[in-house]
Amino acid sequence: MRLLLVEDSVSLGEAVREQITDTGYAVDWMQCLAHAQTSVATTDYDLILLDLLLPDGKGLDFLKELRQAGNTTPVIILTALDQLTDRIAGLNAGADDYLVKPFDLEELSARVAAVARRSSGNPSPIIQLKDLKVDLVSRAITRGETCINLTAKEWAVFEALLQHLGVLLSRTQLEDSLYAFGAEIESNAVEVHISRLRKKLGHDLIETVRGMGYRLVKQ
Amino acid sequence: MKSRPISLQRRLGVGLTLGLVVLWLTITLLIAAMLTKTLNKALDSSLEEVAQRMLSLAVVEIFNRETPDLLQQVVALHPHDEYITYLVRSADGTPLLQSHAVDAAVFPAKPQLGLRTRATHRLYGASAVSGTIFIEVAEPLASRNQALRQSLKLLLLPLIFLVPLSLLGIWLFVGYSLGGVKAYRNALEVRGANDLTPVVANNLPTEILPIAEAVNHLLARLRFTLEAERSFTANSAHELRTPLAAALAQVQRLRHEAPNSTFKKRIIRIEKSLEELANLSEKLLQLAKADLGEFLVATPYDLGQILGYLVDELSLEAKARVKLFLPEAKQVTSLVDPDALAILMRNLIENALKHGAANQPVEVHLTIEGVLRVINAGPIVPAEDMQHLTERFVRSKTLASGSGLGLAIAQTIALGVGTKLVLYSPARGREDGFEASLKLL
Repeated sequence: MRLLLVEDSVSLGEAVREQITDTGYAVDWMQCLAHAQTSVATTDYDLILLDLLLPDGKGLDFLKELRQAGNTTPVIILTALDQLTDRIAGLNAGADDYLVKPFDLEELSARVAAVARRSSGNPSPIIQLKDLKVDLVSRAITRGETCINLTAKEWAVFEALLQHLGVLLSRTQLEDSLYAFGAEIESNAVEVHISRLRKKLGHDLIETVRGMGYRLVKQ
Repeated sequence: MKSRPISLQRRLGVGLTLGLVVLWLTITLLIAAMLTKTLNKALDSSLEEVAQRMLSLAVVEIFNRETPDLLQQVVALHPHDEYITYLVRSADGTPLLQSHAVDAAVFPAKPQLGLRTRATHRLYGASAVSGTIFIEVAEPLASRNQALRQSLKLLLLPLIFLVPLSLLGIWLFVGYSLGGVKAYRNALEVRGANDLTPVVANNLPTEILPIAEAVNHLLARLRFTLEAERSFTANSAHELRTPLAAALAQVQRLRHEAPNSTFKKRIIRIEKSLEELANLSEKLLQLAKADLGEFLVATPYDLGQILGYLVDELSLEAKARVKLFLPEAKQVTSLVDPDALAILMRNLIENALKHGAANQPVEVHLTIEGVLRVINAGPIVPAEDMQHLTERFVRSKTLASGSGLGLAIAQTIALGVGTKLVLYSPARGREDGFEASLKLL
């Protein structure tokens, strides 16, 4: 999953990026609206974390423009505005959730996961996939009584597929989910992780569409 | 008991009328004194004239008698009241001639010359024929006094009409003249406590106008000060949040990366302190906002929706403990500033979450009548502690961290919107716990 973080405070932005990256998501961090607009125009994000007061404008205006342009990417507002009505205005402008500064980073991770689940059409943190039970909160996969362990990179690819259950994802889209683990991504990284996932989760779970990409098979 | 102040109209009405009465009475007394002097002078002169004229006639009469020493009484031509009486006597006091209604007791035993006053009469005496024949003329003092009394009555009579007419006239005129002042008073009375716009002062007398200008000047200064304070509170809230958020986030990352050691424990303590600092700064700013007391909005909104947002804002862990009970059929609308109300309700919910039993839910009820009840399970708060819970910086006897401001903020806002926060322990309908309740409509 690839996130866009729009936050002008270097100290806060750095900590949030590290936290989200640790969770297994790829993060692009922009410190002004102009850069955020460019990023949104060139990349498909799964979620946007948006500060409301930025050096070159208001986050709320950016959000309204985004929605007017038909972009439905989930948005979580990170606001320092303390009035409840300001925060409600954010929701009315099209935000999916908001967090009031100062916030707990664990709380931020939980909210990001919850919004991501809601936007994927499956708000429940527990997903049954064939004989597998996937807990998105604890990141645990079990088959019967057996616990299956995934590496962070494997989880990132698996979660990207899970977010778009039954939908074909290109190799580039899956590479985006690995972006968090470093700028250098091996050319065959996606294939390697898909192969490992198949070994651990079952060979018929992930379907290859030749020349197009991969998709997680529905039940 | 403090007495009710007397109106200017009444003061002027009574005061001016009393002044008028005193002035009139003084003039009346002066006139009476002048009248007495003039009347006495004129009547004394008449008395002298009568005596001298009568004496010459009496002397001729006496000398033409056959027996001069015989007393003769002059008979009245027509019956009448005799105010002025006279008595002609010899030097030894033997009466020789007298008017028909003379009273000898009025005159002294022996005749005397000149003007004088006796107990009941004013007398004048004159002599002729080398001091052998004397005449004395007497006029009763009662007739002079009666004339004076009648004159005074005539002077005092107008006062009977003058006092009520003057009262009425002054009352009406002062009332008309104070019309501008009354309009100004009404304009001040009808405005709300939070209305700090200038008061319109039309038709005010020049004596009052500087006061109205001073009031408007004061209102402008108050408005400016409150605006500055409001702006400071809002800006501080915003400006403090981001650096606090950054510091807290960095410390949390540090904690995450630190190995399990004393070092990590210290980081956890720093994180805790930062959270307390963030909480305290937020509470202080909320208190400042509550003290500003501007709590009304023009458009009504749904209280239940605000409560829903508030619960959503809680951390996922806290949210799982809160059970919200809203009226099913109808919206509960309010005109109280939603941001102020949000601060109030949030503090009550946070208080319940913090001090309530950790494994028990916090119930938030909103009734159709606009009564909000926040109930938590937990030990009963002693009665002696209950009355101090809404005081500032007073914390219950608990180990839970807190600023001791939550209930004080809620109470300040509640009083600001004209209601009162009522606390119960045990909660109503329970044998334990704590309840905060208030009517929001």
